[in-house]
Amino acid sequence: MIIKVLLVDDEKDFVETLAQRLEVRDFDVKTAFDGDQALGLVREFDFDVIILDVLMPGKDGIQTLKEIKDLRPLAHVIMLTGNATVDTAIEGMKLGAYDYLMKPTETEILVEKIMSAHKIKAEHEERIRQAEIKGLLKRRGW
Amino acid sequence: MNKCTNKEVAFFGKITAGITHEMKNVLAIIRESSGLMGDIISISPEAIVKHQEKIQNSMVRIKDQIERGIGLTDRLNKFAHSTDETLSKIDLREAIEQLVTLAQRFARLKHVVLKTMTPDHEGPPVTLVTRHVQLQMALFASLECCFTVLSAGGEINVGIRKLEGKNVVNVVCKGDLPGQSEFVRNISESENWPALQEIAACLEGSAKLDETAHGIVLSFPDEIRR
Repeated sequence: MIIKVLLVDDEKDFVETLAQRLEVRDFDVKTAFDGDQALGLVREFDFDVIILDVLMPGKDGIQTLKEIKDLRPLAHVIMLTGNATVDTAIEGMKLGAYDYLMKPTETEILVEKIMSAHKIKAEHEERIRQAEIKGLLKRRGW
Repeated sequence: MNKCTNKEVAFFGKITAGITHEMKNVLAIIRESSGLMGDIISISPEAIVKHQEKIQNSMVRIKDQIERGIGLTDRLNKFAHSTDETLSKIDLREAIEQLVTLAQRFARLKHVVLKTMTPDHEGPPVTLVTRHVQLQMALFASLECCFTVLSAGGEINVGIRKLEGKNVVNVVCKGDLPGQSEFVRNISESENWPALQEIAACLEGSAKLDETAHGIVLSFPDEIRR
């Protein structure tokens, strides 16, 4: 299964290059350069994992995270942070972010985090599917 | 030592943190670009031909980021050297160019465009003998005042002129702004306004609200008393 990833950061060259590196590794990647653009894509597509910069112009990472979680509660968000914003990233984890990474991050470490976030999301979705099947069978008296 | 000196460390920290953050971005882009080339090369010899455009784009990115890094390092180096002497002869035009470059990240985070009205080397030099660090603090404090009242898409223009023997810096705000009286109230109630007043006083100058435009007028003497 191809993992659908959204990369959100205001450094365009960074986002575009990292996206290409993930695409080489067979991820399906879309990019956004601010919170509002990210939310537009989240409404349109069902991403498995969202990589979200904490500090961006306009809508910041925490506000964007809250709105992503409202729209797509099952999407896993990994916060990208610098030294000065680690506390914000931790606050993000309290608000439902899966994890955080310090910038600049090693691509291999990022890939590992994306894979483990996707695994947990897939398991969660499978449990929901099983529960729905059980509920359906029960309602029909089978 | 005057009462503004103890705020210099905080100012240095803020500017240095901003520039080193930019440098980290520069290095991150170089790392990812070179990493992407490595990824492609490791796939197969054929992949190099297939992804030739990606390789060329990565090389252009690396070159551009190296130039950006050199520019940032040069500005940061000049900024660090502003502590070399307590009092020094300064080209005000160059000091403004320097500060506007250093403050670009702060403006970008506010979605505000920041530029000088007089480009580098245009017009005669405006020299003054003053405390270089505190002059930069005053310029930055005036920008911070503007950041608090400007909304996204706004613009700040910084220009200089000689007026009645004084060296005047005009910091003009443009964009979706309230009426003059509300603008004046918002700026004067912002937390950076008293700090700006204090720094301007330490430099034996002044910081006033522009009565004719949405902006701040800073005024500095040719030479401050030692």
